[in-house]
Amino acid sequence: MTAERTGPPRWLLITLAAVAVAALAFAIGRFSTFGVAAEASAPTTDSAEAGFARDMQVHHAQAVDMAMTLYRETDDADLRALAYDIATAQSAQAGEMYSWLVSWGLPQRGGTLMAWMADDPGHLDHGSSAAPATEAELLRDMGMATEEELDAFEAASGVDADCQFLTLMTRHHEGAIDMVDAVLRLGSEPRVLQVAQSMKDVQQFELDSMAAAALRLGCS
Amino acid sequence: MSPKSTSGNPANKAQADLTIKQQREKRRQEKLAEYQRQVAKRRRRGLMWWIVGGVAALTIAGVVVASIVFAPEPAPTFEAGGTGAQIEGVETFTNETTHVEGVVDYEQSPPAGGPHNQVWLNCGIYTEPQQNEYAVHSLEHGAVWVTYDPALVQGDELAALESQLPSSYVILSPYEGLDSPIVLSAWNAQLKLDSADDERVSEFFEEYWRNQNAPEPNAACTGAIDGPGRQ
Repeated sequence: MTAERTGPPRWLLITLAAVAVAALAFAIGRFSTFGVAAEASAPTTDSAEAGFARDMQVHHAQAVDMAMTLYRETDDADLRALAYDIATAQSAQAGEMYSWLVSWGLPQRGGTLMAWMADDPGHLDHGSSAAPATEAELLRDMGMATEEELDAFEAASGVDADCQFLTLMTRHHEGAIDMVDAVLRLGSEPRVLQVAQSMKDVQQFELDSMAAAALRLGCS
Repeated sequence: MSPKSTSGNPANKAQADLTIKQQREKRRQEKLAEYQRQVAKRRRRGLMWWIVGGVAALTIAGVVVASIVFAPEPAPTFEAGGTGAQIEGVETFTNETTHVEGVVDYEQSPPAGGPHNQVWLNCGIYTEPQQNEYAVHSLEHGAVWVTYDPALVQGDELAALESQLPSSYVILSPYEGLDSPIVLSAWNAQLKLDSADDERVSEFFEEYWRNQNAPEPNAACTGAIDGPGRQ
């Protein structure tokens, strides 16, 4: 009775059990890399994050340009400080956005400006019936200054230049806040959302400062 | 007291014999039944092990297959600046980046990098040829310089070329002495084209516009000097 056994021999059972454990360990090992790989692969080139990183760099570059122009030309100490603040802060943010795309393995060059915002329910569009907007119209929609406006601003001096700057930069900030709101609704990458939120907070504060400065300077 | 009473009557004895037989038979039956139960039990246990083992094996095989089938796609391997996409016809170079005064004798024509003036050319659309030493500084900041032969590229062709350009970090200008109708130059990379319809125009911009291998890829392409013929 004692040694009576039926079925497969013991060594075969042990081997099968070992194979099962090894296979299970292999699968678990593979599963454990899934999250890491998913993290490394996002965001994609069509994502709101990538669109925001590209378009906001274009946007920031013009703000830096206008702020540097004012910094060179203004006689108003408060406005020079504001211009310095905008130029250096937005240069730093543009550098970070540039680096996001590099680290995500995406080109700096994307599709049409603001195409990533098309899915945003909060974004007011021209309506689907309208003809595709030109690049200049899209830049204008982003609150950016036209070439003519920039030329006029650079040609101006004194309080006139200060007031033109305040007008252009106010519209520019408002356009930026629209873009921030879109990425806050559509995006999910934590650092992008954090930077976008702080852009919005700072630019809203600067809008108040610029409104006060326009009043103080008597801009029409 | 009768002694017979102790030996019992024959009927009783027969009954007792029968009972012993029956009891033996019953025990035998019980043994047999027990043996059969044991056999059945062993068989059931054997079957159970086959089922458990089979299910376990199938489950593990399923998990292994799932770990392979559902593995996420590998991350895209794009890397701007020529190590990613290979665009047919792109030439690459190794140029030094220093600030100099005066005219530079460049290794490429139009130049795709090299020593340059400390002032850069503002990016934009120009209708006149531009000075190399300023434009090369813009390339250093990540701009693409789109040059064309004004005798061969004009009107609709020029408009088609211009419509493909980004709104910033681009210089468009005619260039004297081009050996190809259109030449796209970025820092250390150049592509010569016959026509603005070439799909390599957009490929070149995706790969080299503001690419991370330029020496100062996020520096400004505004706020310096406008060349002649600025639109």
